[in-house]
Amino acid sequence: MTALKVIPQLLCWAVLVPVMSRSLTGMATAVTAAAGFVVGVAGENLLLAYVGGELPFRPLRGVCGVIFLLLWGASVWALYRRGSKGSDAEAVSSPGPLAAGLAASATGVLAGALTLCRLAPLDGGAVRLVPYLSLACAGAVLALAATFPARYLPERLAPRGIPLLALVVSALMVMACSVQRLDIFSPLSMEVMKFIHDFVHQFFESMLIPDHPFFRSDVWGYIGLLFSDKVGLWGGLALWYLPVLFIALALRLERLPSVAHIRQGAARRKLLASFIHERRLRLVAPLFALVLLTGAAYQSRFPATEYWDPKPVEVTATPAGQIVIPKKGEMDLEDGKLHKFSYSQGGRQARFFVMLTPAGQLVTTLDACAICQPEGYGQAGNAVICYYCKTLIPLETVGKPGGCNPVPVPCSVKGDAVVIDAMTLLNTWESTVQVTAHGKGMGK
Amino acid sequence: MAAIIETSGLTRSYGDICALKPLDLCVPEGEWLTVMGHSGSGKSTLLNLLGGLDRPTGGSIQVRGTDLASLSEDGLARFRRDCVGIIFQQHHLIPYLTALENVMMSQYFHSVPDEAEARHALERVGLGHRLKNRPGELSGGEQQRVCIARAIINSPRLLLGDEPTGNLDHKSTTMVMELLRELRDEDRFSIVMVTHNQEVAAWGDRTIHMDDGCLVREERIKAC
Ligand SMILES: Nc1ncnc2c1ncn2[C@@H]1O[C@H](COP(=O)(O)OP(=O)(O)OP(=O)(O)O)[C@@H](O)[C@H]1O
Ligand SMILES: [Mg+2]
Repeated sequence: MTALKVIPQLLCWAVLVPVMSRSLTGMATAVTAAAGFVVGVAGENLLLAYVGGELPFRPLRGVCGVIFLLLWGASVWALYRRGSKGSDAEAVSSPGPLAAGLAASATGVLAGALTLCRLAPLDGGAVRLVPYLSLACAGAVLALAATFPARYLPERLAPRGIPLLALVVSALMVMACSVQRLDIFSPLSMEVMKFIHDFVHQFFESMLIPDHPFFRSDVWGYIGLLFSDKVGLWGGLALWYLPVLFIALALRLERLPSVAHIRQGAARRKLLASFIHERRLRLVAPLFALVLLTGAAYQSRFPATEYWDPKPVEVTATPAGQIVIPKKGEMDLEDGKLHKFSYSQGGRQARFFVMLTPAGQLVTTLDACAICQPEGYGQAGNAVICYYCKTLIPLETVGKPGGCNPVPVPCSVKGDAVVIDAMTLLNTWESTVQVTAHGKGMGK
Repeated sequence: MAAIIETSGLTRSYGDICALKPLDLCVPEGEWLTVMGHSGSGKSTLLNLLGGLDRPTGGSIQVRGTDLASLSEDGLARFRRDCVGIIFQQHHLIPYLTALENVMMSQYFHSVPDEAEARHALERVGLGHRLKNRPGELSGGEQQRVCIARAIINSPRLLLGDEPTGNLDHKSTTMVMELLRELRDEDRFSIVMVTHNQEVAAWGDRTIHMDDGCLVREERIKAC
């Protein structure tokens, strides 16, 4: 069953290796890539065994971010240099065997490491020996087997240089984005949202926008668009796709070799047509990269991991304005799981959850944080996840304020019940969550 | 001189009807061959085979060293595109495109359209002033000249004509024939042309006569 989880990764890998080996140095590339994959898987396990802790999610995510930036740089360069001298996007078309080997093995190491992360249990702990050995074998066998289909890949479809880089990077992105803690798409869109948020805020602050009622109602409608929860997604998608689109554009705008020296019209047109056809074929690689990136973004938006996400239970307050929830009533509040409740009174509403932290303390927090849209939290192993920004918050820090942590609500334990003040709850919800809602243009 | 067309035992039958009986024919590069014969004698059948529009039921047919019988459908299409130009009696121009666009259409199917070149081709056939007219606005002779421009635009080595002057009066026929001779002298392609008209046949280098699917007589008009 766990093996099924790595199928997308291994599929990407099985596509990547033939393309790389066709474009680089053939069999040697496949062998180095296979070796790299094994090293990636084994290295991560050795690290885990000797250094301890958990899998190196943060450094890996850093590396993924860096190679994505690299792709950005390369794409801008390709666009800048296009047509300055023949087919420049492919200027690095035939790297030496050393460079090709290095590239292949680096890709292999990263692919192996990323794929292993997918096998890591969500609540931490090491991957067991059998899965990790079989993964290493599968990666290596796939890479070596890939040299056979590679032979049938038409030469003209094998991307070189920057288009190849686009393909490799987007395949690695698919591998990374299916692992929650390696995903870089969600943080990217989050950053975009924050940036736009801050920018608009600062801009209006510095412009001292007059508080004229006419002006406000009209303009706030548009400003509201900038604060909507979709702006992060669209901005993120733009940053996500642009490098590959740039590369495609660079290829498309590439100047064709001159055919003016051919006197006969038909022969000249024939040659020109063949150049155009070839240029069109070269677009296949970036288009495929776009498909892969879409897959990565999709995995990041709709992660396959299943969360513990109970339906909020309606609660009411006592005449004294207290919400009393028994510790061992219909549900066991102290079972370490997140329990959601909702409370409404006179059109005001709040959602919150109660859970026992690993430190043994019962905490009550809003089912929302102070920064994101209130899409709520789910629980995955020893963390809760904000559905909006996909940030994982370790259980240890639940109940503490700040960042994307769920906003704490004071509560007290009286006997075998948790008691929350209904007014405080509603006020906390409105003073934190509704702030963002105002920005959305729905408030006021 | 090398042969552009070589057939041996070439046959084509439709069911029981044998439209073309075993035919051995050799056309040297650059020759203008005229095919004559009664209606139903198999002239169009032969022309269609030479142009790769049809496949023989027997024998072999080689055009510029390529065995047409062995080509796939794609190969045949490529052959038609690159090697032959065809002119029909019914001109088969696209009625809603201008003369220029009709010629460019042929370029498009061959490789890429090139307006300047298409314009030049129409100028060569004396239609420089009718570029933007649709076929319906052109006379029969002019339409046939558009067809010639369309047939030669991709520099074919072989030009096939199935009664290209069948619909034309004496004056237009002479004009078209003169034009064809001029073009052939400049571009050095070979011509195989079917006609019923003795005068038209006189423009060629050699005439073959067919009857009931057989080559019955051959006469040389000009020394090669
Ligand atoms: N598609 C076909 N199916 C059946 N019989 C055919 C077909 N095409 C031609 N034929 C027959 O083959 C014989 C030769 O026809 P073909 O068209 O070659 O004659 P032709 O010499 O071009 O005559 P015309 O001078 O009238 O154009 C005719 O008997 C005709 O009926
Ligand atoms: Mg006929």
